[in-house]
Amino acid sequence: MSICALRCYTPFIKPIQRLFLIENRILNKTNIQNIDIWKLQTSISVVRPVSVLAKYTGKDLWKSVLSVSNAGKNRGRGKGLKRRQKDLNKGQIIGIGKLNMVWPGLNAPVMQEVNIVKPHKVSTNLDRELQSTTSTDLLKRRSRKVHPLLRGWTSAKLGGKSIGPPESSNENSLNDFETKVIQHRVVSHMTGNLGRVRVHSIFAITGNQKGLCGFSLGKASEISTALRLAKNRAGLKLMLIPIYNNHTVYHDFFSQFGSTKLFVSKKYDGYGLVCHRAIKCACEVIGIKDIYVKVEGAINYQHIIKAFILGLLRQKTHQQLAEEKQLHLVEFRNENQMYPKVIATPATVRKPAEVSSMEILDFTQYVLGGKVVLKKKKYPPFYINYNSYKIKQRKMEYLRNQDQVRIEMYAKHGELKSFLTDKYPEAKPHLWKKNRTSENEEEN
Amino acid sequence: MRLSPHRVFMKIIANNVTTAIEQVTAYDRDPAPYFFDQEVQKLLQILTRPIPEKVFRPRMNGVNITTPEYRFMTNEELEIARKESEIKMWDLLQIPPIVKIREEDIRILSKDPAIQGYTDAKHVFTDITFGVSNKYRLIVVREPNGILRTVTHTERDRLNQIYFPIPGREIEMPKMFEEEHLKLILDREDYEFILDRACVQFNPDNSEYHRVTQRTYDEVNKKQKYDKLRSTRHYGSMIFYLAWSKNLNNLLLENIETGKIEDGALAIKLYYILNVKQKENLKNNDVDIIEDFIKNETNMNSKLVKALENYKQISEAREKLQSNIEKIHQNAEINN
Repeated sequence: MSICALRCYTPFIKPIQRLFLIENRILNKTNIQNIDIWKLQTSISVVRPVSVLAKYTGKDLWKSVLSVSNAGKNRGRGKGLKRRQKDLNKGQIIGIGKLNMVWPGLNAPVMQEVNIVKPHKVSTNLDRELQSTTSTDLLKRRSRKVHPLLRGWTSAKLGGKSIGPPESSNENSLNDFETKVIQHRVVSHMTGNLGRVRVHSIFAITGNQKGLCGFSLGKASEISTALRLAKNRAGLKLMLIPIYNNHTVYHDFFSQFGSTKLFVSKKYDGYGLVCHRAIKCACEVIGIKDIYVKVEGAINYQHIIKAFILGLLRQKTHQQLAEEKQLHLVEFRNENQMYPKVIATPATVRKPAEVSSMEILDFTQYVLGGKVVLKKKKYPPFYINYNSYKIKQRKMEYLRNQDQVRIEMYAKHGELKSFLTDKYPEAKPHLWKKNRTSENEEEN
Repeated sequence: MRLSPHRVFMKIIANNVTTAIEQVTAYDRDPAPYFFDQEVQKLLQILTRPIPEKVFRPRMNGVNITTPEYRFMTNEELEIARKESEIKMWDLLQIPPIVKIREEDIRILSKDPAIQGYTDAKHVFTDITFGVSNKYRLIVVREPNGILRTVTHTERDRLNQIYFPIPGREIEMPKMFEEEHLKLILDREDYEFILDRACVQFNPDNSEYHRVTQRTYDEVNKKQKYDKLRSTRHYGSMIFYLAWSKNLNNLLLENIETGKIEDGALAIKLYYILNVKQKENLKNNDVDIIEDFIKNETNMNSKLVKALENYKQISEAREKLQSNIEKIHQNAEINN
């Protein structure tokens, strides 16, 4: 019997130990020196049946579980195989176990002064705790925590997920870039040899939130490879996009790619990104913070991004617009009480007589290329004429200034109290509570 | 001597009123005719030195930020828009008036002892006819002791606010105008906030208005934070107050140090007008006017004298440099 082969498998160690104990006892008791040990061992080994497991090494066994031959793979076998080898001895240390035994020579000295130490159980709490922590810590699986905003649009697919900066081989580091997946699809094509071949197609956009951005499509049989490809390719195709005051676009514009049409509106600081989720991702990456976009026509994610980027690149600066029109471009802001602020002046300004009555003078219409955005009328909600709604409004009428009054009470007295409370303490105002019991009243 | 109940009542009211007035600098003369004088108004407006960008800056007044509007304009259209905005600017910069603190004038209209003890509450009767001004609206009070009298100023403010509310004004004085809270706002140098809210809350003849504004002006003057109020409507009022109370030293020092000599001279002109000191031989040169003022009115304040000396030296050096540059240019032209 080969002991080497058995060493790998812990379940077999104990019986073998027992075996040797028996052997030693026999030797000691009979006190026969000249017994052929080889004979004894062979005689014992004959008794035990030979297992299949004993024939192969652990490596071989794991290989048989985890892999399929190339020929089998081509025929589509072994698709539900386990991917990774499992460490069966995880968290176990030789000499330390659940029973907390002292094994002289293994985890303790054999001799203590003059006496030989015998195997015995120790029951100290400290030891047990130590043991438990070591084993459980090793067995625990640590889940990677991703920030909810970087997890993507849904939990199921990759769209909207953040995949980090593109890798760059040259000195120009792209560490301040962020890449987002716009679209992840499984696409396939047919080959003569392999039949239908499935490939992951990833459309990603990268940018440094300061106007630099690039997008690209990556295809590979593995998702991780496709992601890396798309990300790194996007990092190689960077474009510079002008951003107005670091927060929005220079002006409204219309843009089209295929049959996907975009109406983009410039918005004020603090408005946010009110647009299609693909455009939102693009804006976050480019560094646009306030925008409104209406998508019309086909909702094709790649076309949306292409139309948006094209539109952004075709923007004109205020100076260019003023030069085109040969008129001052003046900004009026509500928060500045409509104070006329000249933001661009052309080299020569036209006289009023030179301005034709036929030309487009409305700024928004001019930058939209003569288009007028259809703004649908907002109708009142359906319940407005219901009798129940009128009754509710009537009932709620007396509550309409309650918030304000409550704030004033707090400001004046520091608590919910009116000028009549001292005289009529039983009618002290209180906050509404669903289950208002007598106990609550006492507390208050 | 035993006072009649009606006299005791009147005395209590009168005492309350006088204590309120004593807290602020009482004006010995009525400042209103001086304030509304054309020349004074012009001086105050010039001294405000409005910068349109500061006057029209975004403010925390509940106006929502919206998407800016853009227009293509010819020179002529731009000129019209600018003129309109200038008119709007002077509207926004209307200087809050400084007038005499109001005095209580309570008249007893009738005494009806027969109805005393009828109720233990006062009954107030207000004329809410449309078109009557708040100041002259007829409001009377029937006391529980049967006296029918006109109202005190605090009662009038309260009732006017109940029947004809002014947006932003509160029936009771906000706590921020109490000294302990006011100090915190003054410490964080939010002067415009205090002055704006005081304008909404009080009438200009209210003693509380004078207390709050004067406290703020004094603080600005002490810390020389005049830039906080320049280009706002309150700068004129502050200068008027400082000139009236003969407290121009700090302002002059700041003006000289920052090179605003013209402003200093204008403030001195205002000082002479308000304190009725006719200066027949008022000099034309701004520096001379200031020098004269330091000599006669400030008892040769050492800081001011030193600052003016410094200014003179610097301006002389600057003139010399300018003339040298011009000479070099002329020489270069001749050589060419």
